[in-house]
Amino acid sequence: MLKRPTSRRKSSSEGIVLNLVPILDTMVTLIGFLLYTTAFFSLVSIESPFPTASTEEVQQKLKEKPLQLTLTLRDTEAEIWSPFEKIKSRTIPNASPGKPDIVKIHSELLDVKKDFPNETKVVIVPTAGMTYDILISVMDGIRGVDPTDPPLFTKNLATGNDEPVKILFPEVIFGNLLGDT
Amino acid sequence: MRRSIRTRRSRKKVGQAFELQLTSMMDVLVIIVVFLLKSYATTMNNFTSVPGIKIPISKSQDEPSDSLQVIITPENMTFENQKILEFIQTASAAGSADSDYEFKKQDLDEGSRRIVPLYDALMKAREKAEVLREKSKARDAQGRPLPFEGILAIQADKRVQYDTIRKIMYTAAAAGYKTFRFLALKQDS
Repeated sequence: MLKRPTSRRKSSSEGIVLNLVPILDTMVTLIGFLLYTTAFFSLVSIESPFPTASTEEVQQKLKEKPLQLTLTLRDTEAEIWSPFEKIKSRTIPNASPGKPDIVKIHSELLDVKKDFPNETKVVIVPTAGMTYDILISVMDGIRGVDPTDPPLFTKNLATGNDEPVKILFPEVIFGNLLGDT
Repeated sequence: MRRSIRTRRSRKKVGQAFELQLTSMMDVLVIIVVFLLKSYATTMNNFTSVPGIKIPISKSQDEPSDSLQVIITPENMTFENQKILEFIQTASAAGSADSDYEFKKQDLDEGSRRIVPLYDALMKAREKAEVLREKSKARDAQGRPLPFEGILAIQADKRVQYDTIRKIMYTAAAAGYKTFRFLALKQDS
């Protein structure tokens, strides 16, 4: 009786060939889509309202005397103050002429935030010659809390729990839009 | 004898189908797709830019929604992709890194506070927006057309001075735009 020929040799000689063409088609379509829809520069914004004041509002303010935190930027120094003298005025010398010391301003504002955790507004008064770059840096320093900052907590009136402060003074208003300096 | 073997070999070659090696191409494409997915970012706005502008970087995380936009460089001012005015380059600016520029006298009024070409462009845009709102089916609770939002995005070069931005804000407020969005590039986290 003859031995049955083995089938192993037959099967091992032919390897499986994967058809990559449809996968390739998908990849090319995906790359095209991604290139078409991607945004190569990502913009962010800092919002600021135009200051408005009504007589009623002013009278109410005079009664209540709000903080009205103000940051005045000068060529040699920056000053954090309140027109209603709710805080002690702080003067911070500039890091270099025309360039405010943003780190110092930020730390001083953190101190103010400790005393007024629910305050969100700040009025800034820059000089006419200040560049947009510095202005954006100053607004960044005023608005946000850095991860390296000491933790600040505020009481949530609804829940009664202490919650971490994630923003400093996000509402920036320009105080000298009608000025000349 | 020899000839017959050669002919057999060549016949074999002709009979085999030509197969392109796609594996290496697949590797390249996978790398490109991974790179694109990693750096993929989409925006909800149609903000454009102008060549040569150097936009500052901001830590802000607020992504601006679509609105009217004014672009300012030390050379000119563009409103909705249309150049509306050109600045005069002062003598001190020549060859200097700090750009110095001035408005043309005829471009300013109201004590040099209002920028005339910008005011005209903003008023036109406002009128157009109000007409569209009148025609739109979107209404408020009282059935009136939705009020004009009055948001203006300001995209300025790093070197643009606050005095110019102040003039823009004053002009915009005079034209009924009460909210400003200062645009900057997102800082890589």
